[in-house]
Amino acid sequence: MTQESWKTLPKAPTLLPEPAVAALAPLGGVGLGLRWDFLDEVVEGEKLPIDFFEVSPENYMRRGGYYPEQLERLRGRYPLVTHGLTLSIGAEAEPDAAYLRELRAEIERTKSPFHSDHLCFSSAGARSLHELLPLQQSRKNLERVAERARRMSDVLGVPFALENITYYVHPGRAEMPELEFLNGVLDKSGAGLLLDVNNVYVNAKNHDFDARAFIAALDLSRVVELHVAGHSQRPSGLVLDTHGAKVADPVLELLGYTLSLTGPRPVVLERDNDIPALSELLRELQTLRNIYDDAARSYHAARA
Amino acid sequence: MPQGLEGVFAELVLGPALSQPELLALCEKLGVSSADAAALGESSERLHVYRELVRSNLREAMQLSIPRSMARLGPLFDEYFDRFLQERAPRTHYLRDVTPELLGFCAPLWTADPRVPSYLPELARHESLHIEVSALQALPRGHVAAPLSLEQGVQLGAALKLVHYRHAVHELPDDEADRSVPEARPVSLLVYRSPEHEVRYLELTPLARGIVERLLSGEALGSAVQGAAAAAGATLTEAVLSGAAQLLADLAERGVVWGPKVPQAER
Repeated sequence: MTQESWKTLPKAPTLLPEPAVAALAPLGGVGLGLRWDFLDEVVEGEKLPIDFFEVSPENYMRRGGYYPEQLERLRGRYPLVTHGLTLSIGAEAEPDAAYLRELRAEIERTKSPFHSDHLCFSSAGARSLHELLPLQQSRKNLERVAERARRMSDVLGVPFALENITYYVHPGRAEMPELEFLNGVLDKSGAGLLLDVNNVYVNAKNHDFDARAFIAALDLSRVVELHVAGHSQRPSGLVLDTHGAKVADPVLELLGYTLSLTGPRPVVLERDNDIPALSELLRELQTLRNIYDDAARSYHAARA
Repeated sequence: MPQGLEGVFAELVLGPALSQPELLALCEKLGVSSADAAALGESSERLHVYRELVRSNLREAMQLSIPRSMARLGPLFDEYFDRFLQERAPRTHYLRDVTPELLGFCAPLWTADPRVPSYLPELARHESLHIEVSALQALPRGHVAAPLSLEQGVQLGAALKLVHYRHAVHELPDDEADRSVPEARPVSLLVYRSPEHEVRYLELTPLARGIVERLLSGEALGSAVQGAAAAAGATLTEAVLSGAAQLLADLAERGVVWGPKVPQAER
């Protein structure tokens, strides 16, 4: 039996025009990464000051039951945007056609204005590693990822964006710095950038570079969304992207700086571990909203 | 096996922990250049972080799914977890499906291992069914409500599994610290998702099992009841027929029986 190639999937009807930034129209403000810990509260409780929810589609794809039904109800209350975990766009093997077919259906169900996944690999051959692993910053990988990312909008029917990941080690020698690799992929693919500000901060700490200079040198015209999350530090000094704590003050400052350069872009708070009460997450979202509003005012005032 | 740096990463996170010389040997085996290998070798401590992350993600998914089996196996679970990662590894995009993959790999090994209690593969399967059945895809209820007919099949809900055990593992307490041994007796269990999305369990008599099994395979109701009664060594008495009717009424009440099976062409 031969494996279906993802390249033979029919082109999906494009739901929104390119470039990726044009897809932002339905989204704005401050969103929250949806987690089952508070799913019932946001589906059934009073309408909350959350502009949209970001959804991991793998949690709802190819399944039935309670959670897809709740997600459908949530969609009636808040805009949703999908953010995948297992595309493995940088792996040697081609993307999984069956997965992409399911993903496209999920994107249609959620009416996501765009879809994002990570600039990484998370599989090796047939093996799924269930972690975001760093790609060697090489010309070969740049070309491969860019070619796949360029096709992804056609396959999924919505604009596609890539997220910069944290990396604790660069695999082997880097042929180019991360900045050049990331900008190169964006330039060659036309994909959007989901800029994870916490990841830039964590990488800057672990690899000793200037986070602000890194962000300023990115092609910020490609930014479709920003992420922030908490991190922790090991006794060895290594900073880990845990999504298990409040967003640290330096990351909030970096977010304000980023928004001052990009102008208003939707911001998502991610929390995956030690998830606190929703009321606490709402307080964090209010902090993010204040930063977002201040930056938007400054951005527009500077351009008036 | 994937070559190059991707293959090295996969072996590092899934395989046995490697010393620095072993890492360099692996790099050579997988065709990684000596310069790349040297760069990796300098970061072996940080590489280990990825090993921790991958394993804790997968283990956490299993802990959610089969906590009692893991607790009963203790260090033996770690041994088989390592073997699963090394010899098979997850293939699925979906974390919820990793445990069934582990069980598919381990079941024959556990059966052959005298250190593993004979009921343990069934307990693990039973625990895992909760998440599996809660997530089963079910077609919309497109049938027209109508009385069942002996000449037609019966449409059963899609979110169900009929399982058979040699031990009454479904009767074990939920307490992870419990170490009681289940009674050794044949059990047929219908595990289904209710219309309210609760996963429920119904133990079936041999006759009921026979009827449900035959209905699931598409037999007409009359033939299913006759066949099940014959297989159970029962004659079709009033009591047997009344029992079958009660079973179907009970299953309809539980949302398992949807109505008469509508032939494909009529849908």
